[in-house]
Amino acid sequence: MDKNQFLQSFAEQFDDVDPSSITTDTKFKDLEEWSSMVALMVIAMVDENYNKKITGADLREANTIGELYDRLNSRS
Amino acid sequence: MTNKTPFSLEGKHILVTGASSGIGLSICRAIAASGGKVTGTARRSELLDNMVRELGRNRASFIEADLSLDAGIEKVTAAVPEINGLVYAAGISKLVPLKFIKRQQLEEIMNINYFSMVLLLAQLVRQKKIVKNTYSSIVLISSVAQQIGTKSSLLYTGSKGAMSAAGRVMANELSLQKIRVNTIEPGMVQTAMASEMEDILSKETVEQDKRQYPLGYGTPEDVANAAVFLLSDASKWMTGRSLTLDGGRYSLLD
Repeated sequence: MDKNQFLQSFAEQFDDVDPSSITTDTKFKDLEEWSSMVALMVIAMVDENYNKKITGADLREANTIGELYDRLNSRS
Repeated sequence: MTNKTPFSLEGKHILVTGASSGIGLSICRAIAASGGKVTGTARRSELLDNMVRELGRNRASFIEADLSLDAGIEKVTAAVPEINGLVYAAGISKLVPLKFIKRQQLEEIMNINYFSMVLLLAQLVRQKKIVKNTYSSIVLISSVAQQIGTKSSLLYTGSKGAMSAAGRVMANELSLQKIRVNTIEPGMVQTAMASEMEDILSKETVEQDKRQYPLGYGTPEDVANAAVFLLSDASKWMTGRSLTLDGGRYSLLD
C-alpha cells in the first residue's frame, strides 16, 4: 500500500473538500462532509483498490487518515 | 368438537428458506408454535439441525441446500413433500454506493434474493408440490427498503423491488389454483445481518435511525407473527399484496 496513493484515493471520496487540504494528519471524522455514505465509499474504495476490509472497529478507533492507513497496512 | 381458529396452521406443512438464522428461524418457530409442520432449508446444516432439535422431529425437518445453485433448487424440490405454503426468507445485503457497484456484486445479491426465489417457485409449481384449492400461501420476505431510496442500499433495494413486483405476477398466475402470494416488507429488524451492517455505520447514525421508528426497531418475532397470519386461512382473501411492518417509521410523521 502506497501512503500517498491511499491519501489521494481517500480524498477523492469527498465532493466539497479541497483534496490539497487533506493530509495523513487530518481527523477525517471531523470533516463537515464526513457521513455514513462517505464512510461506505471509503470502505468500497479500499476493498476495490487493496482487497482489504475496513471494519467498524477501524472506523471507530482510527482518528486520522494516517492511523487508518497504518491499521490497514499492518494487515496481510 | 372444538372449532379450529383460522389463525391456526394445524394440518399445514410449510417450507421455509433461510431457516438457519434471523427472520427465517423465527418463522420456523412460529409455524411450529401455531400447530403447523415446517421444513427448513439453508446452507448450514448444523444450525438447521439445532432448529429441528428445538422444535422436535414430529414438527420440523430440514433440507441442507445452497439455493444459489440450480442443484440446490433441484434438491429441495425433489426432497420436499407436498406443501401448503412457503416462506422465502433467504437473503443477503451489502451496502455499496452506486459508483462502486460491479456486476459481480449485483449478481451475488440478485442471485440469492431474487433469481433463486423465482427459480425455486417455478420448480415447485411445475412439479405440483404446492397443494391447490386449499388457500395455500406463499410469503416473500421483501423489505420496506423497496418503497423508498436509502443511500448505498441499491444492491439490496433493487433485489427486493424485483421480489415484490414478481410476487404480484405470481399471485395473479397462481390464483387459478387458489394459491396466494403476498409479501412482507419489514423495516429494520434486529438480526445478525442487521448488526453486521450497523457495525460499519457510526453509533450516531444507528441511534438517529432508531429514533425515527415510533415503535423502535422490529424483532424477528414481529415478522414471524405476520408470516403466520399470511400462511393461515385467516388471510384467505388476501393475495398479491404487501404487509408493511415498520413500527410507524415511514407513515407516521411528527
